[in-house]
Amino acid sequence: MLNKRIIFALLYRDGSFFLSRNFNLQKVGNVNWLNENFGFNKTCNFIDELIFLIVKKNPSKDDWVSFFNDISKVRKNIFVPITIGGGIRNLLKAKECFLNGADKILLNTSIHQDNLIYDITNKFGDSAVTVMVDYKKINDKSRKIMIESGQKEILSLDKFINTKKKLPCAEIVMNSIDKDGTGMDFDMDVLKLIPDDFKKPILLMGGAGKPEHILNCLKNKDVSGIITANLFNFLGNGLEIARKHSIDHGLKLARFKEISL
Amino acid sequence: MIKKKVAIINYGLGNLVSIENALRYLKINNKIISNPKDLKNFSHLILPGVGSFSTGMKNITKFGWDEEIKKFYSNRKLILGICLGMQMLFSDSNEFGLSNGLGLIQGKCRMFSEETKNKIVIPHVGFNQVVFPETVISSGIDKNSSFYFIHSYRIKKVEPNVRYGYTTYGEKFISFVEKNNVFGTQFHPEKSHTAGLKLLKNFVNINKC
Repeated sequence: MLNKRIIFALLYRDGSFFLSRNFNLQKVGNVNWLNENFGFNKTCNFIDELIFLIVKKNPSKDDWVSFFNDISKVRKNIFVPITIGGGIRNLLKAKECFLNGADKILLNTSIHQDNLIYDITNKFGDSAVTVMVDYKKINDKSRKIMIESGQKEILSLDKFINTKKKLPCAEIVMNSIDKDGTGMDFDMDVLKLIPDDFKKPILLMGGAGKPEHILNCLKNKDVSGIITANLFNFLGNGLEIARKHSIDHGLKLARFKEISL
Repeated sequence: MIKKKVAIINYGLGNLVSIENALRYLKINNKIISNPKDLKNFSHLILPGVGSFSTGMKNITKFGWDEEIKKFYSNRKLILGICLGMQMLFSDSNEFGLSNGLGLIQGKCRMFSEETKNKIVIPHVGFNQVVFPETVISSGIDKNSSFYFIHSYRIKKVEPNVRYGYTTYGEKFISFVEKNNVFGTQFHPEKSHTAGLKLLKNFVNINKC
């Protein structure tokens, strides 16, 4: 049977990687810093996928060039699926992402504003797009979706889910703005808003702080995987420990063994 | 005999740099090629796959890849189709309307069945195990290894007398195929950590059949 997924996300802007807490960004270091301080290549032996997100409003042409450059430095020695996203607003940009190593591209704001997702999936297939929804909690039973880096409220999450059951995509990411970067555990209650007939893989993001959070979240039958962007909690050997912890507790995760080549 | 060199077919879709990157890491001589006529200089070819079957095949025929790939096959040179690239080795698929494949192997590519879809979510995304037949391509790879899949269509039946491997996702489907000098993986070896790299290396190490 299919394994659950532990996915790492790197947030990027102006040549550096960032920590995010409730969508407020804090700069931590560049590509060299990532490799020198965290042995990022080794970290990638313990993840199922890697996501690169550009977290800048209206990135310029130069921003994209440096983003793709740094992505190519990171992905040189790692062999995991790669998703690229943030600020993709047209087919040409999506195509550029694929040419620069993306297996999937991630769409967020555009999902609510235009038909870009259909243009992309008609050409590259449904499996080539990951949909991300950033949301805030209103109360136990409702959530509101925010766009433009969490700045603008548009509609309720359940309304979105119920009208987008046929959205062509590989998966949908539920990213909790309230939990983002807090390490205070995932917003598991959001799963109650998703109807049984929603048949896309669901990933939860926001709130992973320790191995137990990951294990408990992935144990849920409706969750296909989790995403964490928490550099400090999970780099070094943090992901290795989290992965081992989950496997030791009977969770189905791929075992990546070193093979001599 | 020509020196070993792998052609990565560029038919206008998808992520080629990952395969190039994996081969570079393995120190395997390779080149992304956009002109079918250049194929004659290569011992191995990799047909990658991102996109829909109908768009893929449309591009394959439009640029004249189909004839050159078939020639490559009859010259007993080595072919590896990855994901959509594997599906296109078969007879046909009904993704976005029925379209013919390269037909190197007899078999149909179809969406997971309605019955299966009640049990699973689509697409099949993530790492899953492959039960390989006896084949040199999986030598040195632990049988509990997982490989990265991302697809909604699959091959369920294949012509007799070809070797195949299978994976279970709601149902058993064909995730690996081998017929003479042509190989196919529904999964992405270039995205599957060292197990996938080992498979690519094994493929390149196969000599002309």
